[in-house]
Amino acid sequence: MTAATKPRFIRADGPDKVTGSGRYTADLTLTGMLAAKFRYADIAHARITKLDVSAARAIPGVMAVLTADDVPDVRFGPFVQDRTLFARDVVRFEGEVIAAVAATTAAIAQRAVDAIVVEFEPLPLVTDLEIGLTADAPLVHADWASYGAAGALVRDRNDASFSSISKGDVDAGLAEADHVITSRYVADGSHAAPIEPRAVVAQWEGNKVTIWTSTQVPFDARAGVCETLELPANRVRIIVPHLGGGFGGKCGFHYEAHIAALAKAAKRPVRLVFSRREEFLAPDRRREGMVIDVTTGVRNDGTITARKAWIAIDNGAYTADSGFFPQLAAMHVSGPYRIPNLYVEAHLVYTNHQPSGSVRAPTAPQSCWAIESHTDEVAAALAMDPVDFRRLNAVDTGVEGPSGQTYGEIGVQQCIEEATKLVGYGRTLPDDEAIGVAIGWWPSFAVPSGAYIKIDGDGSGQIITGAQECGTGSVMTLRQLAADELGMLPEDFQLVYQDTSVAPYDMGATGSQTIFNNGRAVIAAAGQIAEQLKALAAEHLEASPADIVLADGHAHVAGTPSSSVSITELAGIASGGELLIAHGSGTPPSAPPLLGSSCVGDVGMAAFVAPQFSCHAVRLRLDRDTGVVRILEVGAAHDSGTIINETGALGQIQGGVMMGIGQALTEGTLYDDESRQRNPALLEYKLQTCADSPVINTHFVQIATPNAGPHGAKGLAEAPNVATAAAISNALAKLLGRPVRRLPMTAERVWETMSEVDPS
Amino acid sequence: MNFTIATTLDEALTALAAGARPVAGGSDLVVGARQGKSPLPESVVAIDRIESLTHLDASTDGLGIGALVTHAQLESDATVVGAYTALADASALVGSPSTRNVGTLGGNVMNASPAMDTGAPLLVFGAEVELRSSAGSRRVGVADLWTGPGRTSAQGDELCTAIHLPSRPAGSGSAYVRLEYRRAMEIAVVGAAASITLAADGAVVSLSVALTAVAPTIIAVGGTDTLAGRQVDDALLADVAALASSQAVPISDLRASERYRRHCVGVMARRAVDAAARRARGESIAVPVNRSLGIGAAS
Repeated sequence: MTAATKPRFIRADGPDKVTGSGRYTADLTLTGMLAAKFRYADIAHARITKLDVSAARAIPGVMAVLTADDVPDVRFGPFVQDRTLFARDVVRFEGEVIAAVAATTAAIAQRAVDAIVVEFEPLPLVTDLEIGLTADAPLVHADWASYGAAGALVRDRNDASFSSISKGDVDAGLAEADHVITSRYVADGSHAAPIEPRAVVAQWEGNKVTIWTSTQVPFDARAGVCETLELPANRVRIIVPHLGGGFGGKCGFHYEAHIAALAKAAKRPVRLVFSRREEFLAPDRRREGMVIDVTTGVRNDGTITARKAWIAIDNGAYTADSGFFPQLAAMHVSGPYRIPNLYVEAHLVYTNHQPSGSVRAPTAPQSCWAIESHTDEVAAALAMDPVDFRRLNAVDTGVEGPSGQTYGEIGVQQCIEEATKLVGYGRTLPDDEAIGVAIGWWPSFAVPSGAYIKIDGDGSGQIITGAQECGTGSVMTLRQLAADELGMLPEDFQLVYQDTSVAPYDMGATGSQTIFNNGRAVIAAAGQIAEQLKALAAEHLEASPADIVLADGHAHVAGTPSSSVSITELAGIASGGELLIAHGSGTPPSAPPLLGSSCVGDVGMAAFVAPQFSCHAVRLRLDRDTGVVRILEVGAAHDSGTIINETGALGQIQGGVMMGIGQALTEGTLYDDESRQRNPALLEYKLQTCADSPVINTHFVQIATPNAGPHGAKGLAEAPNVATAAAISNALAKLLGRPVRRLPMTAERVWETMSEVDPS
Repeated sequence: MNFTIATTLDEALTALAAGARPVAGGSDLVVGARQGKSPLPESVVAIDRIESLTHLDASTDGLGIGALVTHAQLESDATVVGAYTALADASALVGSPSTRNVGTLGGNVMNASPAMDTGAPLLVFGAEVELRSSAGSRRVGVADLWTGPGRTSAQGDELCTAIHLPSRPAGSGSAYVRLEYRRAMEIAVVGAAASITLAADGAVVSLSVALTAVAPTIIAVGGTDTLAGRQVDDALLADVAALASSQAVPISDLRASERYRRHCVGVMARRAVDAAARRARGESIAVPVNRSLGIGAAS
């Protein structure tokens, strides 16, 4: 182990959060601050025939009421520019914002919202993914063809993004198979459900606006404000106080521009705080529902000859960051397997549902659930142990994967060994228990990122980072990376985040990318400081800078520890001369090549940079009388490269597994006939609780990966959320004799599956 | 809004007579208002500081439970766990530790939810509720108290001050089980309580079963008197399940379909009677049955 991998970790934000002294966005109060409320469509598809805000504006205490007429006429969206801040003419989901009110109290704002007169002419609903793709389906966006969109996207009517991966000859491959197995799986949408409902506070000073917001991606939020309110980046300052969880739900650009526009119109600071119900209904970030049809051909010896799959993904009413979902889903439905002949196509379908967006490992838990359940069906058709089937067919070091990428050193086979060992796969169990196993994968995301470091005259350091902490501890880990470069302690550094006017760019707490990219930036900046310290020390100790070693808070001459000077003393010297100030960014790893495959709608997701692998093995118990499932034990083995912060990494595995259990068993959005969510509340949308937590044992397969992040690290935070539901499905199928083909696999669905008459 | 803090019963009754509604733990009233289910009443009187309503009084007549006794007290009180075990089972399942620390039995009873966990145990024990107003007091059996979802036969100026449970004959046992999808912050999908008294030879002397969340109120299962004299065996348990499923009138909603509820309430009734009989025979099954016998009260 290198110094950087030593398990020692004290969260800098821990005491603030535990004692309540930390401040979240909703805790902020500014002089003269107003309360904001939104008027939502509350109808899933309709033309606005009348919108009258005059009565709302007339209510005493109401300081601003805004509609589409009051903001620049800008269509925005990272992949398809299909959205406006406020509904124009047509509303396409129940949580669409029609108007915003700022008033002296929340109660007055709500009264004003209720006084807004809106009349609608209902339009036909699109709620079914397959019907939505038919030629005569009603259009969610009649003007889809005129929208601006990313050049790589292939779009057609309600198909907002089409993607395919093609390799070899899939029909010939299926023809040469001894067994051909076809399955269909259907997943309901679900939610990120962060415990902190989002909040935004905006205040103008002159022509500059400061926005405090509970976002995972401050620079993305800034870009959204700049685009929609037509402002340059240097007049919009995004500050993120403590963030109460995100799970992807707070990625993207949400309401910062609405509140900035309200604050400008009212000439007062304005604060928005969402209710739990709003958190469920309004943001364009929920996990997408999916339909997955897959056919796999295998030889009697167990080798896969071909796979063909068709995937439909619920985009919802607008295209948030979901443009890449089809290609990513196609990769997950292919899976980390050796497949010589492959054809997968995936469609992102507009519906009159809440828009989908990146929730922790988007498309992966559902796709992995489907494909790994299917894999167990294939193994069963061969009368082969499903773990042996995976050992035989999973990718490995130097092997070509489904999209034509040949992998460097990877640990998927080791993950299979370790996870099954953790739960004692193969042992005798009571007849109401079973162990299921699933493998999964997830890319690392290589993107630009920046950080500054300064050491002040007293020897204390500050890391000024563009990275955003969403609770994973990744930003907290940056102190460790800097300290290790400088022979200092993590506690010697304070973290300054998040302020877009202070720190350089970072993509934010998204794509498991903080350590992968910002770690690189912090190490680069620390390297500059190290060079400065070594030069100062060399002068002080009359040695060559190349011979200076930084360790234990001191600089010493290599081989002569007694010839040393403290970093504090060097910092003092520097404060009277050239200051210790550094910046870092570094070059992101490059994307690996693909050979022999062709991709339509290629948005770069078929080549996985520093791919992560995982295997989850789950032991569960089934109550055969009711269909209730209890998860008893989870073994999770992960190849996420070098683990920098073991405490934080274990927390991510445990949290990811718990989220996976929820998605497997209890979390799913239900809709009524008018496309309204029926369970936008935490009693009826059932997250798992601590009381439901099983024993979770983790093994990290640590391979120092080249062309990866700091010290050979890959991403981590999303990977633990990939394979859990799949492993649960496979354990259940062993007890039921067949898989449950709907996600979540609720107790009632399990019971229904048990009650089905066996067709054979 | 008018908010009064009563420190004596008389103060509370005076406020009620003036139209106030009582609040104790607030776990229904406040949560309901926050969720937009029903706004807070215009006038509220806090009764949580009335010391005289906080006691558990065991006597030869039975057990008197002050209206302010919390679920946390009920799940651990020796008399409740020993003699009225189904009530302890149910109390231990309510919400989370913090819910159980503030939630009171009086509030639970008067909220009259058909999904309330403590309701079925109270019904099988033949509980009576003491209702007090400035004009006097009366006792009402819980079967006559609950008239519909959230509705009771109590008058607006009447305060529930205590719940009385009759004494238990020797050879008695009880249990409450519920169908739940998670193990905390959960509400009963369906549930069942059983109270049984066995003769020395194991034959049923008396058996009461009540069901949760399968009708507009907690309901008693009729026909259990015909089971007297029989042994508690698989045949009897199957008959109990059939009686429960056939008498349930469940709805389909977010939590479960009518069909699934009807099936599961039979399973819960069977498990409740089985656990109650085992306790009556002296077997120790820790509170709550849902946890000690595994998932969904697997037996």
